[in-house]
Amino acid sequence: MAGADVTTTIQSEWLDFAPLIILLPMVSFAVILFLGRVFNGHPVWKNNLKEGGLIALPVMGASLVLSLLLISEFLGGFNPLKVFDPEVADKIAWVNSAVWNGGSTVTPVSFGFGIYVDHVTVMLLFVAAFLCLLINTFSIGYMNTDPINDNRNHRFYAEFVLFCSGMLGMVLSDSFLWLFIFWEIMGLCSYLLIGFYYERPSAASAAKKAFLTTRIGDVFLMIGLVMLWDLFGSLDYAVVFDTHNIEEVAKHSAGTLQWALGLMFIGAVGKSAQFPLHVWLPDAMEGPTPVSALIHAATMVNAGLYLVARMFPFFGAEALHGDLEDLAFIIAAVGGITAVMAAAIAFVQMDLKKVLAYSTMSQLAYIFTGLGCAMYLANTLDWHHDDDAHYIVVVAFGAALFHLFNHAMAKGMLFMASGSVIHEVHHAHHHLHHHDDHGDGHHDGHHDDDFDAQSMENMGGLASKMPITATAMLVGSASIMGLPLIGGFWSKEGIIANAWRVAQDDPRFFLPATCVLIGAAMTGFYMSRMWFKTFAGKPNNEVAAHVGPTNTWIKTPLFILTFVTLSSVIFAGLGFTHWASDNSYELGEKGLLKGLVYELEHAFANSDAFFFILTYVAIFLGAIVGPGLAMALYGGKLADGEETKPWMRPVIQLSAWVNKRFHFDNSAFAESSLATALENRLYIDEYYDKAMVNIVAGFSNKAAEADSEVIDGTIKAIESGSQSLSSIVRSMTTGSARDYILMVAVGTLAIFMLIWGVA
Amino acid sequence: MSNLTEIEPFGEGFVEAMGPELILFAGMLLLIIVPNLGQGTFRIPGTQLRLPWLLGGQRFEFTSDPRLPAWLATFTLGGAFFNVLYTFSQGLDRVAIVSESGKQLLLVNGFSRIFELIFFGALALAAFSSMNRLRVNGVGSKVSETELFNNRRQADFYILMVTCALGMSVVALAQDLFVLFIGLELASFSTYVLVAFLKESKVGVESGMKYFIVGSVASGVGLYGLSMLYLWAGSLQFDVLATAFATTSSTDMALPLIGIGFVLVGFGFKVSAAPFHFAAPDAYAGATSPVAGVLATASKAMGMIGLVRMLLIVAAPETGDGSAIWLVCLGVLAAVTMTWGNLAALGSDNPKRMLAYSSVAHAGYMLAALTAVGAWNWDAAVSGDAGAAAVAVLTAVIFHLLVLVAFKLGAFLVLSILESEGDVSRLSSLGGLAKREPLLAVSMFIFMISLAGVPPMAGFLSKLLVIMGIVRVAVGDMGAELADGGIYALGDMHWVWWLALLMVLNSAISMFYYLRVGVVMFFDEPEEGREGPLPAGWQVRAAIFACVLTTLIIGVAGDAVLRLCEMAAQSLNYDW
Repeated sequence: MAGADVTTTIQSEWLDFAPLIILLPMVSFAVILFLGRVFNGHPVWKNNLKEGGLIALPVMGASLVLSLLLISEFLGGFNPLKVFDPEVADKIAWVNSAVWNGGSTVTPVSFGFGIYVDHVTVMLLFVAAFLCLLINTFSIGYMNTDPINDNRNHRFYAEFVLFCSGMLGMVLSDSFLWLFIFWEIMGLCSYLLIGFYYERPSAASAAKKAFLTTRIGDVFLMIGLVMLWDLFGSLDYAVVFDTHNIEEVAKHSAGTLQWALGLMFIGAVGKSAQFPLHVWLPDAMEGPTPVSALIHAATMVNAGLYLVARMFPFFGAEALHGDLEDLAFIIAAVGGITAVMAAAIAFVQMDLKKVLAYSTMSQLAYIFTGLGCAMYLANTLDWHHDDDAHYIVVVAFGAALFHLFNHAMAKGMLFMASGSVIHEVHHAHHHLHHHDDHGDGHHDGHHDDDFDAQSMENMGGLASKMPITATAMLVGSASIMGLPLIGGFWSKEGIIANAWRVAQDDPRFFLPATCVLIGAAMTGFYMSRMWFKTFAGKPNNEVAAHVGPTNTWIKTPLFILTFVTLSSVIFAGLGFTHWASDNSYELGEKGLLKGLVYELEHAFANSDAFFFILTYVAIFLGAIVGPGLAMALYGGKLADGEETKPWMRPVIQLSAWVNKRFHFDNSAFAESSLATALENRLYIDEYYDKAMVNIVAGFSNKAAEADSEVIDGTIKAIESGSQSLSSIVRSMTTGSARDYILMVAVGTLAIFMLIWGVA
Repeated sequence: MSNLTEIEPFGEGFVEAMGPELILFAGMLLLIIVPNLGQGTFRIPGTQLRLPWLLGGQRFEFTSDPRLPAWLATFTLGGAFFNVLYTFSQGLDRVAIVSESGKQLLLVNGFSRIFELIFFGALALAAFSSMNRLRVNGVGSKVSETELFNNRRQADFYILMVTCALGMSVVALAQDLFVLFIGLELASFSTYVLVAFLKESKVGVESGMKYFIVGSVASGVGLYGLSMLYLWAGSLQFDVLATAFATTSSTDMALPLIGIGFVLVGFGFKVSAAPFHFAAPDAYAGATSPVAGVLATASKAMGMIGLVRMLLIVAAPETGDGSAIWLVCLGVLAAVTMTWGNLAALGSDNPKRMLAYSSVAHAGYMLAALTAVGAWNWDAAVSGDAGAAAVAVLTAVIFHLLVLVAFKLGAFLVLSILESEGDVSRLSSLGGLAKREPLLAVSMFIFMISLAGVPPMAGFLSKLLVIMGIVRVAVGDMGAELADGGIYALGDMHWVWWLALLMVLNSAISMFYYLRVGVVMFFDEPEEGREGPLPAGWQVRAAIFACVLTTLIIGVAGDAVLRLCEMAAQSLNYDW
């Protein structure tokens, strides 16, 4: 994106099909919904088509294939920057209108849809299309085996594909306007899917909360977009990223631009669940687990990151040098604060999915910090002319994007794995409960509602029962924690290093830099805690002891994602970090091995002493302190006679040893007010509720009163007044022709009087 | 811009120029002759030889088909309609039909053509959808489809429709007030008979008689006005009158002003402006619904032509302050008409009367637009802001008349289907229509919200254009100032903008009774004895469908139509 002004219109084979990537899911939304309504309950529909799951699957497959074709062509042939120019190529015209700009001239404005492809697009397109397909596969194993979903899964799949189409459309669109449109489609779908079990009050209110909270951000986003429109007269990337246009704007209104971008950032804060608009995300766990995976990994939360990443050309523009550094700091600071706060709350969560939810918040915060730092660097360094500076900026921005990629893959896997665990625990409980009903009756009153299949209290020692799930969870956790060489390590180190690099220039950045460093240790702790509590030790109760392995639909995506996460090292070697942010860089330019050696050297043997030490501090915190504490508290051997796969055995044994050797009593902390505060999510939700009740609801009540008395009253008065006038007027229509002629005469006289009066 | 060709009657090019009218004339002859074809013979006097001469006697099967006249009329009117469309596609020529002494009698240009479209379109739809509607027992009878009137009676109905079209097109073409008056009377007399056509029904005859009597009075007054104008100028040619009007000093205005006042009454009745509208609701309620639809659309457009010719061509604005002499008068008329119409419709429980009053209100809107045209002396400042604004207002009026055919007539057609199972004199007759006939109910709802002016229906666009046009005129020369960031007070605007405000308020009131139809259709239960789907031929349903499509399409993509209307508006004063 470094040179967004280098716009080339290309004639491409697959670009013409790119709209299909969006349109196929969008159309199948209607198809599934329609068929689902017509054939609801029909055996073929239910068993052979999985209530639409097997319609959605090939559609998402086709989207992925088309995306891959587009990506491979993009990577194969055309450089440096490829833009599908809506002015030249056939665009899908939406609205053409004229804007009156004072005087007698009008500017014709067209809101046509176009496709914009660069490396950021390519990366996110792949992430979204790939994960959507895997989550779809998982859903078939998860949703269709639970009787509670029977005869309404078509709704799930329909909303699912619409959600995917929203994400894919947002990534591909060529203007902020279309980005916003697809953004809102996703907002709608998230509401529908989180509230999928709308009969449960908690789900219904979680859906509302997610919708309303993100809406707050969206309002600001919209204001920001309007301001941007006002500055540039367009929202097309081709126009707003044009160097010349940015120069024009920078002359007079750099400050306004910063405000516009800042407001847009608030939209991203809402969508990506950052402090202070994060409250919806944990509650969003009320949706079915595939939805959590979809929201947290593939689509929704990435949308906010994507929006911020899209703003990068403004920060990188020469004309705006130094004008936007405050905003860059805000972005980084919001990220830093959220990273620590979310991680702290994750310490005490007992709900498996909630731990993951907070971990998502925390990791997204890392990415925001990374983006903020990269933007600060781009905005303050002379990176257009200085090659070293250029490399620093590009790699900083790339590290954030790479973390997005790693996190999406790992988190998608973690959610699906947690879904697998919950699914099986739930089944085991159901199984036990069903059999005991005829027995001693001590399960009386134990209904599904009392049993929480998501609570880690009901798990433990599952490593032997569900080895594939446990492995996936292990690899995913390692990636999130940033254990050396695995997945997120490559990107997280980069983010931490860049935060400290910036902190050396600008002391304000010590805040986010410290936060991300401490956050590394905290991540190590809560992720390990989750894994050990779930998979290591002895089963916590009878249910956990009866858990069985999961089905193929669920295992397949876990299997695939485990390999993707592990192969992150290859991406790192190919120079992903550099590639993602520099459109003139080719993937694997240096060669895989050379690149890998370079990356390793860079990570572990940095020539700069400061960064050398920093790396090892981060590794020490994230890979030793955090997990060590978790092991000491929650580690333990499996139950006697239980065996697990050889690669998990040393982990569990190590944890058992640490637990025995270093175990300490943490009840003092667990009973402290800090822990209570964390359990109550730092009371932020309560503050919001209170504010809502006192301020907003009070205002609303007054408004409602005014509405019913003043406005309705006025309207009622007008209505009854006009009704009585109406009867007077109608009573003059007597039905007698004589009267009518009289009225003609009266009218004639009136006309004469009026004409005469004037003339 | 095209050149003016002058042709003498039946001279070269006459057939091309008068194509639609000739088609109508031929169709009328066919309607008279064809239904009477039979095995009649003629005995040569003094011999026993009988020659078949086809008229009378035992009729052939196809000539005695009760639907034959309807088909003939539909094809005639439809043919004329498409002939006009064809001439549009060929590019327009301005052709004047002149008498031997060189007087212009008829002028074919964009303005007349677009009105021909309105007339023929409305009448063709009405004829087409009346095909299965003329029952032996008249309005409100419950009879099977087979019991249509025999085709001689049917033929009368459709002959009248064609003569009505002929009269209307003469009005559109006329360049001479006398010619215009002849056309007006031809069309009016046809409609009087059409309203009273169901002579077996007391309501029909009574309303027809009332309509005839009041209409005759109005015509008489108008004719009296014409005679005064003739007395004053010695001619009824538009251009002669206009010149005379422009050169007469305001102190000598007495005679022409009285004339204009009387003529205004005559046309005011045609557009059903208050207080000349009283017979209209009765007539609409008594006539069959398609005929009522024609009254509300084509007949009203005819009256508007008269007003436009009279007020804008003859008595063009030019008093001291540049505004027209009739400005205040027409403004008051417009305000009273729209308010009266809406208020009366508000309390009206009879759907046909409600539509009649709504059409009074719409007449008021159009009168308001015409008033705005008179606010400035736009004839002198053709290129100025005022001139462009006046064209914009006129465009809006023509466009409104054009799209009105789609949704007003469409609404009457829906009522006509309901009529086939009994009287439709109460709103509750529409109850539960959504359950009985969802498509019809949705169509009716679309017509209603289009009448109310809800986007994206055509009715919204037309109403918006009218209001915008009026405001633009009111802003007048200040438009340029405004564009430069100038500030002005409301008081600086010409007072006609109050009419626009009144129009907006009236639209708000009208919303109530239009939406009430929707409430009744979608939420009320059907009346007793009205259950299940309605009996009706496909013809009327096809016509309704066409109306819905037109309403929606013009509402969303009306550019081309709008451009036609603009051209028509310009052709009034420029050499188009």
